[in-house]
Amino acid sequence: MPKSHKKSTKDSWFELDLSATVYPTLQRRSFSSVYRISALLKEKVKPDLLQKALEMTLPRFPTFKVALRKGIFWRYLEPNNRPGPWVEQDIINPCMPMPFHANNHYLIRVYYYENRISLEVFHSLSDGTGALYLLRTLIAVYLRLQGYTIPNQNGVLDINQPPDPEELEDAYKRYATSKVRPPRKQEKAYRLHGTLEPFYTLNIICGIISVDTLLNVAKKYKVTITEYLNSVLIYALIQQQKSENHRKERPIKIAMPVSLRRFFPSKTLRNFITMVYPTIDPRLGDYTFEEIVTQVHYYMRYHINGKFLNADITTNAMTKSHPVIRIVPLFIKDLTVRSFYKRVQDLQSSAGLTNLGTIDIPEEMREHLIRFDVLMGQPFSPRTNCAIASLGNILTINFASSIVETSVEKFFFTKLVRDGVPVKIETNRNN
Amino acid sequence: MSYCVNCGVELDNTAHSCPLCHTEINNPKQPIDLTSPTPYPRKKGELEVLKKRDSAIVTSVVLGSTALSCGLLNLFVFQNGRWSLYIIGACLLLWIFCIPILIYSKLPIFISIFLDGIAAAMYCGIIAYQYPGKGWYQNLAIPIILLTTILIEIFAIYLKMFKNSILSRACLFFAEVAVLCSGIEIFIDLYIKHNVSLSWSAVVLTCCSIIVVTLTTIIKQTRLRNEVRRRAHF
Ligand SMILES: [Zn+2]
Repeated sequence: MPKSHKKSTKDSWFELDLSATVYPTLQRRSFSSVYRISALLKEKVKPDLLQKALEMTLPRFPTFKVALRKGIFWRYLEPNNRPGPWVEQDIINPCMPMPFHANNHYLIRVYYYENRISLEVFHSLSDGTGALYLLRTLIAVYLRLQGYTIPNQNGVLDINQPPDPEELEDAYKRYATSKVRPPRKQEKAYRLHGTLEPFYTLNIICGIISVDTLLNVAKKYKVTITEYLNSVLIYALIQQQKSENHRKERPIKIAMPVSLRRFFPSKTLRNFITMVYPTIDPRLGDYTFEEIVTQVHYYMRYHINGKFLNADITTNAMTKSHPVIRIVPLFIKDLTVRSFYKRVQDLQSSAGLTNLGTIDIPEEMREHLIRFDVLMGQPFSPRTNCAIASLGNILTINFASSIVETSVEKFFFTKLVRDGVPVKIETNRNN
Repeated sequence: MSYCVNCGVELDNTAHSCPLCHTEINNPKQPIDLTSPTPYPRKKGELEVLKKRDSAIVTSVVLGSTALSCGLLNLFVFQNGRWSLYIIGACLLLWIFCIPILIYSKLPIFISIFLDGIAAAMYCGIIAYQYPGKGWYQNLAIPIILLTTILIEIFAIYLKMFKNSILSRACLFFAEVAVLCSGIEIFIDLYIKHNVSLSWSAVVLTCCSIIVVTLTTIIKQTRLRNEVRRRAHF
């Protein structure tokens, strides 16, 4: 191992990045901001090889081999050299809370079940894009241990190289430069009223779809797949709200994280996302599906561009770097952030939707992999979250919810079926 | 391949019913596959129980040994007076305060408040044992501690049991402050002068009453409440 590599994992510590500071404050006994990315292989997973691969891969990713510590003013990440993490047999209730001191202080978990390898990550370490690099590299190393040749490209990093300093950077700091800081619109969104499942339950409904068919349908509406699926989710939520017969309807807002790497080039493996909120207000009248699609399409075009996003992250960065906020002790920050989140942020969206898009892998890995699944994890309040990813021609839509009812999922998938998109459903619900 | 007749989605061969609409699958050509592994595991994961026991043991040992060594020092070295009782009492007091945090976190808050009240009374008891005075313990300390405990219990019950807003909480809080202050003055007056004449607590009482009346009005009147929300939002 080169010397510089060792040094960077040993002496350094990391400040939490802009997004990462929020997640630990929301930690409860029954909730952590944990998400999961899984890969479905063609062959059954061999746990001992996977463990070996994990031990070889993790040192290359110093920002994942960390423990979360409390300072006086902020939390920080500290390199974790305790033994572990260990690969475990998968469980029916993924994205369990992740107490900071359990699991030898590691904030990632790796599971295996039949043909599937799953990686769970505490959101303070990284966003989905960053975690995907770790998972792809882990799988490449795992496949190499079985004698296959996998090159270090298309999202697979070279585990013999020291990490690029840019991979460890807080990219928000570099790019939050806008001169204006637009205020946020804050309006309570429609929220699902479901029956809460008991603790330790996360219901998954996974829809498996062909990318080609979906692309054709999206083209018919002249929009992208993300825009189309966003519209379907909004449509489903409008139906849901109608079926509940409210006296007063509320706007449907989707919280959608956008990876900023597309607009601000950075190799960072840490968080570099911001939120956009495509909205339809049913109080304005009945929207047809076509109108929803148009609205969502123009919303995305208007908001998702370098200038707008820069202003958005600058607003966030300024809050964090405000001198008064900086010197307030951590526990007061925790209290304020938590109550702000509960009272404002969490009420602002009806559901979450994330799209990791087409996942790039080396050609040589394709013959070993069937598909990727992403799970947004346990929602903070009772509702359902939706995560999308695709590999080759297979796209998966994973709904993770902590409520008993499946009506939103039903509205969503039946709409796809009616639009001529065949869907295969898998679930972990007991039926 | 089986499809849900209701939703039109394809289902896994191991599925018994449609997860979206719960329609039973009834496909004579394709019976339910009971042998293949299901898409998701059946094993339920549970968190490793975080060991607060370590800190509970450390706290108990530190407090216990402090109490013990002070007691021994008092008995054998510095034998002037029973000063170690204060420290032993303080250790016991701290230990009782720590019960809900470290030792038994499932303890209902009402019981832990009650225990805290008893602990405070006990500590005053130790002081009273050293300085018996003119019955200040029975006539002053016990009533004040009792009153405080009851008021805190009421507040806790209100927070836990009833749906409440910031305004109603503030209302209850000020009402309790008023009761507590006048209670304290009444007990002091009875102890010293044997007759009751409210002075400083009357001021507190007036202020709190004004606040409580205002708050109740605001809570009762939706329009006013919205106005206050708008003007005092933060
Ligand atoms: Zn169905």
